[in-house]
Amino acid sequence: MIEINQISKVYNGKSVLNIDQLSIPKGQSFGLVGNNGAGKTTLFSLLLDLIQPSTGSISNNGIEVHQSEAWKPFTSSFIDESFLIGYLTPEEYFYFVGDLRNQSKADVDQLLAQFEDFFHGEILNQKKYLRDLSKGNQKKAGIVAALIGNPEVIILDEPFANLDPTTQIRLKKIIKDLSQQKGVSILVSSHDLMHVTDVCERIVVIDKGELVKDLKTNDATLKELEAYFEG
Amino acid sequence: MTKTFLSLEWKKFSRSAAFSKGLVIKILMIFGALYFGGIAIFMGGIGFKILQKAVPDVDPLITLNQFLLYWVLGELALRFFMHQMPVMNIKPLMTLPIKRSKVIQFLLNKTIFSFFNLIGILFFIPFSAALIYFGYAPLQVAAWLLSLMGIVLCLNFINFLINKNNTYFYVIASFAVLSVLLNNYNIISFTKISESIFYALYQFPYLVVFPLLLAFILYKSNYNLLAKHFYLDGIIRKKIEKVETKDLSFMDQFGDIAPFLKNDIRMIWRNKRPKQVLFTAVFFVFYGLFFFTFEIYKDNLFFTSFASIFITGGFLLTFGQYVPSWDSEYYKLMMSQNIPYYQYLKSKWSLMVVGVLIAYVLSIPYIYFGIKIFAMISAAAVFNVGLNSFITLYGGALNRVPVELNVKASAFGNTQGFNATQLLISLPKMIGPYVIFIVPYYFIGFKAGIIALSLSGILGLVFTKFFLKFIEKTYQKGKYKTIAAFAEK
Repeated sequence: MIEINQISKVYNGKSVLNIDQLSIPKGQSFGLVGNNGAGKTTLFSLLLDLIQPSTGSISNNGIEVHQSEAWKPFTSSFIDESFLIGYLTPEEYFYFVGDLRNQSKADVDQLLAQFEDFFHGEILNQKKYLRDLSKGNQKKAGIVAALIGNPEVIILDEPFANLDPTTQIRLKKIIKDLSQQKGVSILVSSHDLMHVTDVCERIVVIDKGELVKDLKTNDATLKELEAYFEG
Repeated sequence: MTKTFLSLEWKKFSRSAAFSKGLVIKILMIFGALYFGGIAIFMGGIGFKILQKAVPDVDPLITLNQFLLYWVLGELALRFFMHQMPVMNIKPLMTLPIKRSKVIQFLLNKTIFSFFNLIGILFFIPFSAALIYFGYAPLQVAAWLLSLMGIVLCLNFINFLINKNNTYFYVIASFAVLSVLLNNYNIISFTKISESIFYALYQFPYLVVFPLLLAFILYKSNYNLLAKHFYLDGIIRKKIEKVETKDLSFMDQFGDIAPFLKNDIRMIWRNKRPKQVLFTAVFFVFYGLFFFTFEIYKDNLFFTSFASIFITGGFLLTFGQYVPSWDSEYYKLMMSQNIPYYQYLKSKWSLMVVGVLIAYVLSIPYIYFGIKIFAMISAAAVFNVGLNSFITLYGGALNRVPVELNVKASAFGNTQGFNATQLLISLPKMIGPYVIFIVPYYFIGFKAGIIALSLSGILGLVFTKFFLKFIEKTYQKGKYKTIAAFAEK
């Protein structure tokens, strides 16, 4: 689904990302871990064509993301709060995203109904603008908005941060279902090793922009990761 | 402690994104301040003579005093828009061992040195000096000056007390308009009232205690208000606004651009900064009154064409120059979502055109000034729709200044968007219509000029698609730069 080739990003002569080859097949749940400044967000931003690569290319379903915009209809993402429109209510925001992805109001309502649990009664019908919601609730809205319109690739940057424990558990189930039942390629980054090993079939560790580990998740993965990050 | 605060302030100022960006901006800001300051001093210096000339039989000091009430009202209204309580980042200071009173005092004292206070004082000091020079009693003049300074401070502190509430603004604004009308039709003479208040401050120097006392009381009430709310859930926490949801589904008939249109309308309605633009636009509709009521401007074709562009183009120009900056807060979403630039631009363009049409309808009473002036306004409106809209959108595409939607613009806040490119782009917007008009006017006549100006607009409309495609290309070329610039706060 996603092919990364000799991608590198250099800021003012300093290399922040340099990945030779990485391919993510369709339907894989892919976890990206690394310390602060490892290049996780840079990689995701490159995937979404939000920054320009210094060298190399990325293709998404055969489409070069830096050349064409045709990857947008089947790709969705939530990176940070700058993906939210602060002056809209959550409902208005969902419908707006729905409009962009050719989903009728009814389609969106149907999708939202599935996430009643996940919202925990704190998102819909709150009579609040998104900018007035707490960080955690903003995140919930952003993540669900990324699921609108049956995307084939979903990119979530640190989806577990700021969420309460109940929601974290529910989110893990949502991510698993998406990749296993609907064949969605789902890319998440996290600082929580336990969560990623729980939900991802495959975990890639990057450090200072370089790929250092590429693991297929099994019972020993968590231990291995802990050993690595301990130093 | 004050020294530490001052150094924090200096760092905040000198390291702010807008300021550290370019030397040009710094120089322009300094020039701007010098320019306005210089004008104030100059007007103060020669004001005495001007008033003497304008109203020969009356003591110039009395003439000035007659209008000071309007100055008070006008300044209150202006400050409401432009002058906000400076926010000091007090959250990190709350848990440090610093006395609360110190922080609040510093915050309030700082406001005394604002540009708004300075500009009044810069006018009144040379004016007073002129008064003494022309033989007014120095002691009385000094007391009068001191009283006015007291009043400036009162305005300063009143503004912070009422700044949060729109109702006060409407009361002040309608009172100001009403007082001008009542005065003009000789129903109640506000100039007389103004004179008796302010001239008394000169006649009876001991009255100076009242403005000073009032300023002190207002300082105290500001202090108490801040002290009462010096908690995390007080002034620091932003107020959660009541949600107003309007059903905008009727807009779905606009097809492809409907989602963007709905969003833009909500954006304008629910955020402070675009609302300010809306007010400016309304103000611009009345801009012509300023030109057409003066004999010297009325028959000057340059000024007539200039004013005509602003009458219908106020919204177009002020809103359009910040496209796409209006969406800067969530620009990454717009760039990674399934959004065709063309529809996005078309929605913004449609909004601007609607702005021109509404302003045009409102401008119909200008017929009062003659059919020629209205013909000019009409032709300028066509030019605005057909050409200015695209030029403005193109300028916006090169702008790349992030806009904080729910924060009012400050007096000099707009300088950030100012650079050589913007200046170059504003030339055709302002001078273009005049040039298009004047050439056929010179060779053939007035009607030919009007027809040429209208035709240029219609021609622009014919090429709508071409222009929008061209701007779209500009967007695509600058995409990464724009994303990076908007990410900087």
